[in-house]
Amino acid sequence: MLDMALPLIMDALANAALIFFVAVGLTLVFSVQRILNVAHGSFYSIGAYIAASMGLWLISAGLNPWLSFPALLLSAALVAMVLGPLVERTLIRWTYGRHEAIQILVTFGLFLILEDLQRLVFGVRSIYQDTPMALLGVSEIGGIFYLNYQLLLIVLALAVLFGMRFLIKHTRLGRLLVAVVADREVSLAMGINTDRAFVLAFTLGVFLAALGGALATPTTGVAPGLGAETMVLAFAVAAIGGLGQIEGAAVASIIVAGAKVLAVYYAPAFDTVAPFLVMLAVLLVRPNGLFGTATTRKI
Amino acid sequence: MKHIVRTAGTLMASLVLATQAMAQDKPEQIDVGVFTFTSGAPAAYGQPGAQGAELMVDLINAAGGIDGVPLRATIVDEAQGAEGVIAEYRRLAGETSYQVMIAALSSSNCLALAPVAEQMQMPTISWNCDTHQLFLNQQLDYTFRPNGNTIPEFVAYVAYLLQVNPDIERVAIINPDYAFGHDAAEIVKAAFRAFKPDVEIVAELFPSLGASSYQTEVSRLSAARPDAIFSNLWGADLENFVRQAQPRGLLTQSQTVLALGETILQRIDLPDGVIVGMLGDGYWLTPDAQANEDTVAFAEEYATRFGEYPVFPTMKMANSFMVMKAAYEAAIEANDGEWPSRDEIAAALGGIETATFTGTARLREDNDGYVDQVIGVTGPSDTYDFSVITNMVRYDGEALMAPLGEDPIAWIETLTPEFLETLPEPGSYK
Repeated sequence: MLDMALPLIMDALANAALIFFVAVGLTLVFSVQRILNVAHGSFYSIGAYIAASMGLWLISAGLNPWLSFPALLLSAALVAMVLGPLVERTLIRWTYGRHEAIQILVTFGLFLILEDLQRLVFGVRSIYQDTPMALLGVSEIGGIFYLNYQLLLIVLALAVLFGMRFLIKHTRLGRLLVAVVADREVSLAMGINTDRAFVLAFTLGVFLAALGGALATPTTGVAPGLGAETMVLAFAVAAIGGLGQIEGAAVASIIVAGAKVLAVYYAPAFDTVAPFLVMLAVLLVRPNGLFGTATTRKI
Repeated sequence: MKHIVRTAGTLMASLVLATQAMAQDKPEQIDVGVFTFTSGAPAAYGQPGAQGAELMVDLINAAGGIDGVPLRATIVDEAQGAEGVIAEYRRLAGETSYQVMIAALSSSNCLALAPVAEQMQMPTISWNCDTHQLFLNQQLDYTFRPNGNTIPEFVAYVAYLLQVNPDIERVAIINPDYAFGHDAAEIVKAAFRAFKPDVEIVAELFPSLGASSYQTEVSRLSAARPDAIFSNLWGADLENFVRQAQPRGLLTQSQTVLALGETILQRIDLPDGVIVGMLGDGYWLTPDAQANEDTVAFAEEYATRFGEYPVFPTMKMANSFMVMKAAYEAAIEANDGEWPSRDEIAAALGGIETATFTGTARLREDNDGYVDQVIGVTGPSDTYDFSVITNMVRYDGEALMAPLGEDPIAWIETLTPEFLETLPEPGSYK
């Protein structure tokens, strides 16, 4: 068991990093807009498709392969800049203040539309673009070869975590978002442009999801269904960490990834359900998640 | 009154059945329903099958069709799930222009379609599904499988592995998490118990079908330190797994067996020495295939049209079309030149033996096929810029099939290590 400890930790952290990018965006959008965006996973897969396509174009054009690293970031930014404001202004804003069931139905409809659009544009076969992974090579840890790219993902996830903390706590935009989260009406009365705050928060959420997808491409094939697979895990993370909790998303990502990895190592038959068994256990004890707090509601 | 209604109903039903059973007029066109995956992760495997069907239709039509009647294939996507597949099958089978179905790719869809084929009396050629459960404990009169099944396929891999590496002791398995993966694991374990009982299964993983990441599984397999890794992952899952395992050294750390590995040889640079095969004999570069000028022409035409050489799902599909054509011709001959009914085509398919692009298709009494198993290892090619299969062996399909009526797993358990000595040596097929 002990000789497995290092590989277990490494695998859990590498898996957690990828889940975290998606979950933190999901939880950010929920905390600001009070919307559980089911279409969030589609932004992940679109980010993956754009990143893979851009990487393939770079290589086929004979450009420096190291450019594939900034291309990952650029892809996520492109997806966020185009889809973030577009989706928020044309669709999401009509759901503010409405019943949760309507919000979920609208975003689920958007998810289905985006999934079919991806099939139309990118086809049904897997796309592979592993240049960044190949450039970084491998390292032996605990007798097992790991991709250095996996280590980079862990570092990037930490950078996003601390970057988000810095944004919320130490920037003007962060303070505006906190004010909107605390009370939208009072924020509006104080002169805060809440519409703009909503667009920015949603776009940032889309960027984080697309970044997760873009960063996943060097180690996975991009195919239809990728968004749904990731989204389900991101929901488990958000539920365990507490919706709207950024640090909670980080801890919950490690818990979910750890449960899955432990299952693969010691009980492979349960590897799919393990994260959800953990989620169930957490919600039975703490219905608002590990870091969530109960809120009062006027009736 | 009741009596009149009942009699009229009986007469009408008899009339309908009699009409179906009678020889039919020669149609202007033969419609064939072809079921495969054209979307989703399995499309990486199913699309070459669909392309093979397209090319075969064109080739048969260019040569005058079947008895002068041109073919038209209707491709049905199996990604819609079993309910949708059954609905599509029923819809097509309801039209008289469809006299044969070539269905299906997925074993679960074949199991679902078999009773429908019986009910609708529709001759159905299983072009790819190979679960040994299809003909287990049931007599199917309208389902025919010239494609072979999981028992000879996976027993052959264990035999080959032990022939080239008799000292292995630790084996890991990574298969897809559904019947095909679990059945294969059971067969492989049973074969090891029969041929080398001291082999220990050190890891047994069943990742979800369509999973995108295998990094944890790669770590787990590496940590288990197996002498050999067996996998029957397929389609995009196989491609994903190999692309993630290879940079981390897994494929060279252990003797890897990729049961469906032939499908990715043109897309991925596999290291030399990986044991790969094609679940049958459907490799366009076997000595038999290369000696057949029709096969060579088919492969070249396929490469010209689709940009890559055929893979074994293509060959399985093409071979199924050849079986269908042979059955039509036999049925027409048996019918004194008249156009045959579905029942007459089904009768011609029973016990059929006909040459294919890669060998011979031969059905036994239960409509299951004897198919030779070709296995080898990856190696460099002087002619192509991708790995080819070298050190090949061709096992006689009948020798690896459980006798008719016997439980296949129980039959494997009766085999002994001496059985391996009766098989041809790796490298003997050249």
